[in-house]
Amino acid sequence: MNRPPANVAPKSDTVTRRRYERATRARQEAESLLDSKSRELWEANQKLQQQAENLEELVNARTQDLGVALQAARAASTAKSTFLASMSHEIRTPLNGVLGMAEALMDTPISAEQTKMLGIIADSGQMLMSVLNDILDISKIEAGQMEIEKAPVHLAKLFASLEQLYTPKAREKNLELALRMGAQVDQWILGDATRLRQVVGNLVSNAIKFTTAGSVQILVDLIQQGGGQFLLTIDVKDTGEGIPEDRLHRLFKPFSQVDSSIARKYGGTGLGLSISKQICDLLGGTISVHSTVGQGTQFSVTMPVHISAKPKETTKVLEGAISILNQQRWRILLAEDNRTNQIVFQKLLGAYDLDIVVVDNGAKAVQAYQDGAFDAVFMDINMPAVSGIEATQSIRQLEKTHKTPRVPICALTANTMKQQVEEYLSKGFDSHLGKPMKKADLIASMADILADRGRQHPQ
Amino acid sequence: MKGVVFVELIAMAESIAGEELVDEIIDSCDLESGGAFTAVGNYPCGELMTLVQAFGQALNAPVEDLQSKFGQWMFTKFIDGYPMFFAGKNDAFTMLESIENEVHVEVRKLYPEAELPSFKTERISDSELMMIYSSERPLVAFCLGMIQACVDHFGTPATITHKDRTENGKYYSDFNIVMAQ
Repeated sequence: MNRPPANVAPKSDTVTRRRYERATRARQEAESLLDSKSRELWEANQKLQQQAENLEELVNARTQDLGVALQAARAASTAKSTFLASMSHEIRTPLNGVLGMAEALMDTPISAEQTKMLGIIADSGQMLMSVLNDILDISKIEAGQMEIEKAPVHLAKLFASLEQLYTPKAREKNLELALRMGAQVDQWILGDATRLRQVVGNLVSNAIKFTTAGSVQILVDLIQQGGGQFLLTIDVKDTGEGIPEDRLHRLFKPFSQVDSSIARKYGGTGLGLSISKQICDLLGGTISVHSTVGQGTQFSVTMPVHISAKPKETTKVLEGAISILNQQRWRILLAEDNRTNQIVFQKLLGAYDLDIVVVDNGAKAVQAYQDGAFDAVFMDINMPAVSGIEATQSIRQLEKTHKTPRVPICALTANTMKQQVEEYLSKGFDSHLGKPMKKADLIASMADILADRGRQHPQ
Repeated sequence: MKGVVFVELIAMAESIAGEELVDEIIDSCDLESGGAFTAVGNYPCGELMTLVQAFGQALNAPVEDLQSKFGQWMFTKFIDGYPMFFAGKNDAFTMLESIENEVHVEVRKLYPEAELPSFKTERISDSELMMIYSSERPLVAFCLGMIQACVDHFGTPATITHKDRTENGKYYSDFNIVMAQ
């Protein structure tokens, strides 16, 4: 490249008009380019903003949809639980009749053949009742209505009675049922005996069901944790066929058996372990399973418990109750619309000389109350026309008006939830007896209110 | 073509020939833009070729040499104006290799309409790089100047040769850069 010419003009302070105009035009063009770039940016920004808003609206709409769907799902689930609970109730009432009559029939002179047949009726009824209870439990748990009691429980006795209960079943299959308890177990704890019995009973019953040879062991221990807290550990070990590893995770889910052939072979609802798991959760405990195919299965339950003082002696309660029933010819009013239940009630008390008047609705109960002095009233809650609650309230009102002594009224119902029982007590009832009625419970309950009566009116 | 190229060409010409001569040359070219260039504008590439031609004539310099000189001028402007492209690069090969996939990517963010040449690179050995230029525009000499300035900037001397060809109206050049051992 050539060197630049020597006569390059030095830069001067002044510029020519054309140079100035060129610079001005260049600036104006730059400014107009800047304008259009800014406008593009603004528009792009607007578009983004619009998109963001649309997106937000979309998210809101979806969230709302989901909320509605969730509500619908919850409503459906509640409806299902309510349906199950009421269906169970509807089935319980006639079943209660079957079982009650079977029990009453046992007390009549029948042949050995008939005793055997009656035994099958009672066993089958019990089995149906336990399936029904399973379904009711699951619906209660799902509806968050399963209540846990806290009362003194003697652990060693509870497990000994479970062992006693299942020994015949184990013996039938030539299995050894062994209960081994740590030294600490021989004491009272605060807990829910019914639920604990349910969980362990379920595990033991399963173990016996699925074991063809060998043994079922129940290992129980109570481990001190400090601060008055103990850990109750229960292991139920069997020498059964075991469960394949890939099926273990399904065990605790409702309506799931290891495979559907199990239902055909062994029966059952497939609810037991699911209920056990949920009860363990409610009790603050855990349940786990280890299994080796061909060797056996071990279910392990742990739960925190508190030690309790020994409660007052409860033995001979029933003998005391019977003696109260036998004290005199008590006048008893039964208000119950269901014919079967009326018969069951009378049959269960058949051994005692009682004057039982039966009516089948609330209005008649109030009328009967006015016609004759009763020592106790047993009132069904759900009756047509005038309910048990309304009838009781009328009776209480009459007592107030005529200044007559308060007659003890016991509520009879399958609604045994704490909240409902409290409602009955607040509306004028003195006690409550759950259906299906058991002879011992009915006698104890009746003796209880009659004992108070006896104190009020000493014979 | 981006206005920055025109603005820098005029700045370089002014530094060589002075404002007055440059004004005269611009006026004589009868450009559509009137020679009023702004760095952020876009102008036809033909105007660049016309200006280079006119500057060459006025300065009595071959167009090729002028283009190459201009390439070097542009590269030094890049060093001053865009130090971020040089950060972390220790040799000319790494820098040249980054033009296609780093520098041009950034240029397109600001100027989506920019028509950029392509620079494919291939390392023949540790000391030899092949760089293939392809463009719609006949600016091989301008590239050569840029590559030369890049090599100079990193301080390791190198021999640069190039083989040019045109195909279907496109301009290609295979630049072979061999570092001195």
